[in-house]
Amino acid sequence: MKGLIFNIIRYAINDGPGIRVTFFMKGCPLSCWWCHNPEGISPNIEEVERIDKIGDREFRIKETVGKYYTVNELLDVAMRDFVFIEESGGGVTFSGGEPLLQVDFLVEALNTFKSEGIHTAVDTSGYASVSAIDAVIPFTDLFLFDIKHLDPLKHKKYTGVSNNLILKNFDYIITKGKKVIIRIPVIPGFNDDPDHLKALRDFVLGKQGVNIERIDLLPFHRSGVAKYRKLSLEDKMKGVEQPSTTRMDELKKYFFESGINVKVSG
Amino acid sequence: MILTDRVKKLREQSLNAVETISAERAMLVTEFYKGDHARELSAPVRRARAFEYILKNKKLCINEGELIVGERGPAPKATPTYPEVTVHSLEDLDILDSREKVSFKVSDEVREIYKNDIIPYWKGKSNRDKIMEAMTPAWKKAYNAGVFTEFQEQRAPGHTVLGYKMFSKGFLDLKEEISDAIQALDYFNDRHAYDKHEELKAMDIACDAIIMYANRNADELERIARKTDDPERKKELLEMVRICRKVPANAPDTFHEMLQHYWFIHLGVVTELNPWDSFNPGRFDQHLSPVYRRDIEKGILTKDKAHELLGCFWVKFSNHPAPPKIGVTAQESNTYTDFCLINLGGVKPDGTDAVNEMTYMLLDTVKEMRILQPSTMVQISKKNPDKFIHKTLDIIKTGFGQPSCFNTDAIIQELLRQGKSIVDARNGGASGCVETGAFGTESYWLTGYFNLAKILEVTLYNGIDKRTGEMIGLPTGDVTKFKTFDELFDAFKTQLEYFASTKIRGNNVIERIFATNLPVPYLSLLIEDCIANGKDYNDGGARYNTSYIQGVGLGTITDMLSSIRYNIYDQKKYAWTELLEAMDNNFEGYDELQYDLIYNSPKYGNDDDYADKHAVMVFETFYDAVNGRPTSRGAIHRINMLPTTSHVYFGSVIGATPDGRKAYLPLSEGISPFQGVDRLGPTAVIKSASKIDHLKTGGTLLNQKFSPSFFEDEESYTKLTALIRSYFKLDGHHIQFNVVDADTLRDAQKHPELYRDLIVRVAGYSDYFNDLGEDLQNEIIRRTEHGSL
Repeated sequence: MKGLIFNIIRYAINDGPGIRVTFFMKGCPLSCWWCHNPEGISPNIEEVERIDKIGDREFRIKETVGKYYTVNELLDVAMRDFVFIEESGGGVTFSGGEPLLQVDFLVEALNTFKSEGIHTAVDTSGYASVSAIDAVIPFTDLFLFDIKHLDPLKHKKYTGVSNNLILKNFDYIITKGKKVIIRIPVIPGFNDDPDHLKALRDFVLGKQGVNIERIDLLPFHRSGVAKYRKLSLEDKMKGVEQPSTTRMDELKKYFFESGINVKVSG
Repeated sequence: MILTDRVKKLREQSLNAVETISAERAMLVTEFYKGDHARELSAPVRRARAFEYILKNKKLCINEGELIVGERGPAPKATPTYPEVTVHSLEDLDILDSREKVSFKVSDEVREIYKNDIIPYWKGKSNRDKIMEAMTPAWKKAYNAGVFTEFQEQRAPGHTVLGYKMFSKGFLDLKEEISDAIQALDYFNDRHAYDKHEELKAMDIACDAIIMYANRNADELERIARKTDDPERKKELLEMVRICRKVPANAPDTFHEMLQHYWFIHLGVVTELNPWDSFNPGRFDQHLSPVYRRDIEKGILTKDKAHELLGCFWVKFSNHPAPPKIGVTAQESNTYTDFCLINLGGVKPDGTDAVNEMTYMLLDTVKEMRILQPSTMVQISKKNPDKFIHKTLDIIKTGFGQPSCFNTDAIIQELLRQGKSIVDARNGGASGCVETGAFGTESYWLTGYFNLAKILEVTLYNGIDKRTGEMIGLPTGDVTKFKTFDELFDAFKTQLEYFASTKIRGNNVIERIFATNLPVPYLSLLIEDCIANGKDYNDGGARYNTSYIQGVGLGTITDMLSSIRYNIYDQKKYAWTELLEAMDNNFEGYDELQYDLIYNSPKYGNDDDYADKHAVMVFETFYDAVNGRPTSRGAIHRINMLPTTSHVYFGSVIGATPDGRKAYLPLSEGISPFQGVDRLGPTAVIKSASKIDHLKTGGTLLNQKFSPSFFEDEESYTKLTALIRSYFKLDGHHIQFNVVDADTLRDAQKHPELYRDLIVRVAGYSDYFNDLGEDLQNEIIRRTEHGSL
């Protein structure tokens, strides 16, 4: 079996504990306006044009996004960094896209890494069938679970899907006793108004006592812009500024003061 | 608090002082040599008397408010010259005065003295003249082509560090040792007994000389004290008088005495000659810790006072730039930094964790003083706590390139492999940039950088230097006729062995020139077994003796070889003639081919075995050609891998290369990948760099650029700590971090005046960004951009 991967990052330090290797799996059922990995949305291999430079000279190169890997090939990549993973208490993270879209491959991969004694994390939008979630739970040490908005309609407008299934899956995972880090993208004008912040805070506080390790606030950033151009996609976030460091500190403080373990990441 | 008003003032004075050439030492040494008496003396005694003459007659300089006294020149940054080593011509002085970077102002008075007294006496007689006269045509051709450099051409051998012994002994103790050694001379069976006697006599004179110099300082302090109205300062001055009368004649007992004791020892070394890599107190936290604790317990010292003293002590190093260098030597080490590298952490003589309170106090000193010299490194053993590394990262984060991180456990294994005892190995560390040494017991010389990439270029052109058309190597065959990669590599191996032998033959002559003309009886006092052996540091008197040749351009040559194997032999994408033609044209009109070489050929630094195996092949070939070969002072030749700034010079003598690099651009530095070709992050770089066997070297240098975002919080510190520890688990010798963003550097290029204090990591050392040549500045900007992608 093979999985479609569009990027592999070594020395990934924001995707779970320790030093990790993160595999970005291609294909996502959501289409968030602010997506900074738009090349991960389509479940197919795509062709784009890349520009390489030598001095002022530009070279236009056809590049394919997405490559099929076997589980053993992924294991080979991760084992190259085994010394760092072991020393740091790190592991591997499956991100995307939405890794649960390729659930059969994901299960085989997670199972293989677990049997090598390597810590596994799945970074998910939560938009997946319960059976998919059930299938990965035994081999997943940590979920990085995105909560983007608590209002189903707003969620649908900005991501293309309602959050009903997502919130249901979230509860399912925590009732199964799995460790979770909640990841909240901070998108100006979408989910950072005081009412929603309060709702988020109450949501997290309502889950206290279960295995919520931390919440990560991920500030919106415009690094995806060039990718949108490359993929000929519309940049729906045009004109939206990145939240400032001060703003992020304020938000952090807001959650922290309610007794929530919070980190600004990314 | 370290930056008290006093320290602030001294620090500012030092930062604002202009580097000048002082003719004082040159005049004194010339006067002495001209005297009738000098000619009659044996070489070591002549050198000891010259040392004494300088210390007796040099102007004293005591700066206002300072607590540690003694300047090598008549004022801070007034830098002496050493005409017996190299005599500057008037043209050299003009260059020193006017060059844009690392200049030294030369007054008309100095120029006159040089013209009338110094040059007429020393021309043709300096050590440099003797060396150049003795070198073979083969050596000269290789030297002029930039195949290797020669360390001893303008500076004396040094590269050594003070060990434990001298922190608990005074020179009066050494005089007793000398007297015992003289008593023990066997005039019946030892045919060297007379030579040893002369050497020991010289050492004894050197002891008296440094004690006399300390007393001169005491006299001067006393004179100043008498004129001082401020009772506080008067008290300080009188305490300093007491200290200077006590040390370095006697062993120091207090913290203040210890610092002053070391500083006198240091001044002696840099006055006697201009040895490479300054000199330094080595494992300073280990030496200071017991005396600090004792003083605190006795109630005669506070932490604040100790910090202030350390601040004063730090400034002394800053006042002493490296002696002026010109020509190739200036290009290989283009900096005011004199490579005093204080070691912190590591393990104790019994192998246990050596990190202590003083380690942290010294790290605080580094952070607050934020000056180039002394430079600092941390020795990280698996036994040291993470807290120690976190504290270090906290300073590295500020982007001033210090401290650099060393693997104690690797250093110990390197030293053991070379035959040092376990205790001497544990007491060792790294000096200069990254050079392994047994502190206080080893005479280890760096002898010159070795241009690995140039040797491959010479191979590609059948022994000819492409730049000049001159035959400088061996005719190893027309590469276009080579049927296999192995044939090419064999030819390269033959050339490398030829140039290594050429260099080693030169070394063995130069060592004798130093041993016979310029012994160093004073330095010999400080490095163990020289007294017991009655032999000079420059003549194999130390307990351990090593000579290094430093390989440069590993990343570049690996990429060159990978590209050749991949494009010509494996994939058969290009014919030799096609590739050579493109290189001859510096890739002008060969855009697509150059692109292919840069973007589609395997590169070192990506944990790609296809590329990295060539690094191992080159490394092993270099190692086999050098390691274990004897030297004429009874030392052993060994290798290490570091460039200082020679990768820029070495690049400037090499045309376009098969890896797509254009002509005359800098080579890769240390064992780091070529700028911009590592695309998989720091773990991949570390994996590539650890494929060579570091333990067979006397030091390697790996530079990693990080954007500040990698240093955000405690969690990122923990991950960086794991990154360092992982590299060290793989036997990596050293890693250093440049934390700075490219925009800052570009702005600094535009507005140097606003960035007087901007320090960046260059290669094995930090330097003021403004003092770097523009090409080196650009290279660092390129590296920085890459790191922050």
